[in-house]
Amino acid sequence: MGGSQPAVEMRGITKVYPDGVVALRDVDFTVRKGEVHGLLGENGAGKTTLMRILYGEIEPSRGEIWIFGRRVKFRGPWDAIRQGVYMVYQQFSLVPAFTVLENLILASSSMGRAKLQDVRRKAEKIEREIGLEVPLNARVEELSVGVQQKAEILKALMSEAKILVLDEPTSVLTPIEVRELMKLLSRLREMGITIIFITHKLREAKEITDRITVLRRGRVVKVVETRDVSQEELAKMMVGREITFDITKKAAKAGAPLLAVKDLWVRDDRGLMAVKGVSFELRAREILSIVGVAGNGQRELVEAIVGIRPVEKGEVVFSGESITQMPPSEVYRRGLVYIPDSRAVGLILDFNVTDNSILTRLKQFLSGGRILWSEARRYSSRIVKEFNVLVDSLRTPVRHLSGGNQQRLLVGREVASNPKVIIAAEPTHGLDVAATEYIRSLLLKLRDEGKAVLLVSTDLDEVFQLSDRMAVIYEGQIMATGRPEDFTAEELGLLMGGVKCEAKS
Amino acid sequence: MRSEKLASWRLIEYTTIAVEITGSIALGLVVAGSILALLGYDPARGIFLLVFGGLRNPDYLLSRAAFIAMTALAFSIPLLAGVFNIGGEGQMYLGGLAALLAAVYSGNAAVAILAGGLAGAALGLIIGALKAYRDVNEVVSAIMLNLTLFYVIVYAITAELYDPVAPHESIKVPKGARLGVIRFGGLKLHIIFPLMLALVAVAYYLLYHTKLGYEIRASGFSPKAARYAGIDPKKTSVYSMVIGGFFAGVGGALNVVGFTYYIDNLLTCMYGMGFTGIGVALMGRNNPIGVALASIFFSMLVLGGSRMQMLMRVPKEVADTLSGVIIVALSLPYAYRMLISYIRIRRMVGVGAEQHS
Repeated sequence: MGGSQPAVEMRGITKVYPDGVVALRDVDFTVRKGEVHGLLGENGAGKTTLMRILYGEIEPSRGEIWIFGRRVKFRGPWDAIRQGVYMVYQQFSLVPAFTVLENLILASSSMGRAKLQDVRRKAEKIEREIGLEVPLNARVEELSVGVQQKAEILKALMSEAKILVLDEPTSVLTPIEVRELMKLLSRLREMGITIIFITHKLREAKEITDRITVLRRGRVVKVVETRDVSQEELAKMMVGREITFDITKKAAKAGAPLLAVKDLWVRDDRGLMAVKGVSFELRAREILSIVGVAGNGQRELVEAIVGIRPVEKGEVVFSGESITQMPPSEVYRRGLVYIPDSRAVGLILDFNVTDNSILTRLKQFLSGGRILWSEARRYSSRIVKEFNVLVDSLRTPVRHLSGGNQQRLLVGREVASNPKVIIAAEPTHGLDVAATEYIRSLLLKLRDEGKAVLLVSTDLDEVFQLSDRMAVIYEGQIMATGRPEDFTAEELGLLMGGVKCEAKS
Repeated sequence: MRSEKLASWRLIEYTTIAVEITGSIALGLVVAGSILALLGYDPARGIFLLVFGGLRNPDYLLSRAAFIAMTALAFSIPLLAGVFNIGGEGQMYLGGLAALLAAVYSGNAAVAILAGGLAGAALGLIIGALKAYRDVNEVVSAIMLNLTLFYVIVYAITAELYDPVAPHESIKVPKGARLGVIRFGGLKLHIIFPLMLALVAVAYYLLYHTKLGYEIRASGFSPKAARYAGIDPKKTSVYSMVIGGFFAGVGGALNVVGFTYYIDNLLTCMYGMGFTGIGVALMGRNNPIGVALASIFFSMLVLGGSRMQMLMRVPKEVADTLSGVIIVALSLPYAYRMLISYIRIRRMVGVGAEQHS
């Protein structure tokens, strides 16, 4: 350990949740002073849990924590912040209606008295020192996500953070913003700030970190010096085997058009126009991907197509029939189904398996307003068998299923009705490798059976693996459409960040 | 799928609930007994009276349970849809008044009960629609309506509908429109109790076997998921208020045409039952069957408590405290379950550590 104390030392951390799920098992985690330390792992590996324990937000079932050589036991984040530990979540802890300065004052007032001018002076000083540009007088909700993140980091520095934890900081950013963030982190390292960088993206881990701790299923796999390992080696440690998806995609022979969206305009929940004149056509036997950074109108677009959200202008045609503004249950019944990006929306977690199996198809199980439960149970057990959903009983509340099993139930329910078009939004989000592979193969199989799939995804691997065609969406507009071979990763990155290429559009 | 396993799972679940409830009632009684002993009363006699005193008059006990079960359903059904209906009190008053008027004009009990239900439903509709479409907090509008209706009805009875012979009472429900009494030998039972059982069965059927019930529960658990499934959670919440109001209104009607046959000028025959229903609904875990059992149990405690006051000269406050202790004890199984899972975790952590060393 050399002469100096490590910035963070966590020993034997174990976390068992009340429902018996073991999130972390005997984890040792050490971060040297002044380094950028990557915490790498798949979704569900326990990265965030470990850091929330460090931040005092979750109490470990067992284990000890030292900060700069001192044993600590935080009662909550406020305690951690006082000791110089600050965590930046994916969802920022800023008040949207306040200005950046007001947010800073809010944060410092919990530390004692804060004077407006003092806070402003201090913030400006820090901004100058590290070349951070955050408009102090702008309201947070008016700032882009990238700038909000900078404001959050500024907030951390105002509280004299010495250890900065960043939870998947790039997942919400455009490629250009990612580059800026990387520069900012290097500067912070030069200033002696210790950074813990949670990620599942290999390239980023390799690019920015000094050392990496790899977690898999709640255990430490290995701690490595970043310069000694390749991305491939890291990938292997992370998933426990080579990442090769055994998915072979046959060439597509697109058939008749099934779904046509014509100049669609849709507003979001705040009433702002989120989809601005989107048009596309989806044919049988093809997978069309809508690619983009999250929050560029994808959800509003698909919700409008299936009738959940009002259409401002434009038309949706399914199998030659206009379904614009048709109630969702009618749309689903006609054979256009939708797998939402959140399982908490696609399923009712407090309902049991049978209840959930009929959620979007209630009408088929009715006889004069009465629910035919025996038929519902038969249907439900068919889904469970056909899609390998692991459940003790059909009466188990869905809340107690793992994410992968919830997703199999959700996808299975929608696919079991033998639809013509499947809209799948982030269908593998948060799933382990096995479940991911299962869902992706299933989508390809459906395509080969002659169905059309509209895939909405922010996961570029998934998009490249599955799509026959892709459309890049940015701020509610389609930037470009083409076949996957037509785009390099860099071009795609630029398009997703709102930069139009000359070559195509 | 694995039907024997399903059956046994159900059996275990129900046995567990039965054991939990018996255990917590026993605990509640021990604590209540200790309080009595501490205050210098005979604990054995006190407990006996508290629990069984009400059984001296089973007909009154079950009739009271019938009214409370109705207001409890009035709370439970909207709550399942995510609406907090504390307007059961006012809905019951209005239902009682409507039933009285309908009984007087039509001379028919069924018409009167229906009128009571509809009046309650109308009130539920107002509160529900204000909430769903004008964003008016349902608790605030319900409280204001409860109070307003109380005075409006007191006025109606004192000034317009009073009985010239007994001026603090309203005109009476005509003989032909009164719900009768069933007699088995020496025992009698007002028809309202079997009616309540039938209505509870209807509520159960509605919630767990119909489209509307499914939509109500779906909207309450997750409005987002409901919207995704094509259910309009706002509309559903209004329906749930209409149904809830209907049950409260029927409760008032049963009271008037089935038990008292008039309304007194301070509404004492109904006063407070709407609020009691909230507690009973929660005790019955918002399940109609649970609500029926809880309403009977609650009536036992209330009547037993007043019997204890009368015979042992225990102050009313002490009697209420003891009922409260028993009701709190009934909520302990939740805490107990948490404790069990805590112990299980400790054990698992221990096992995990051993494997590593």
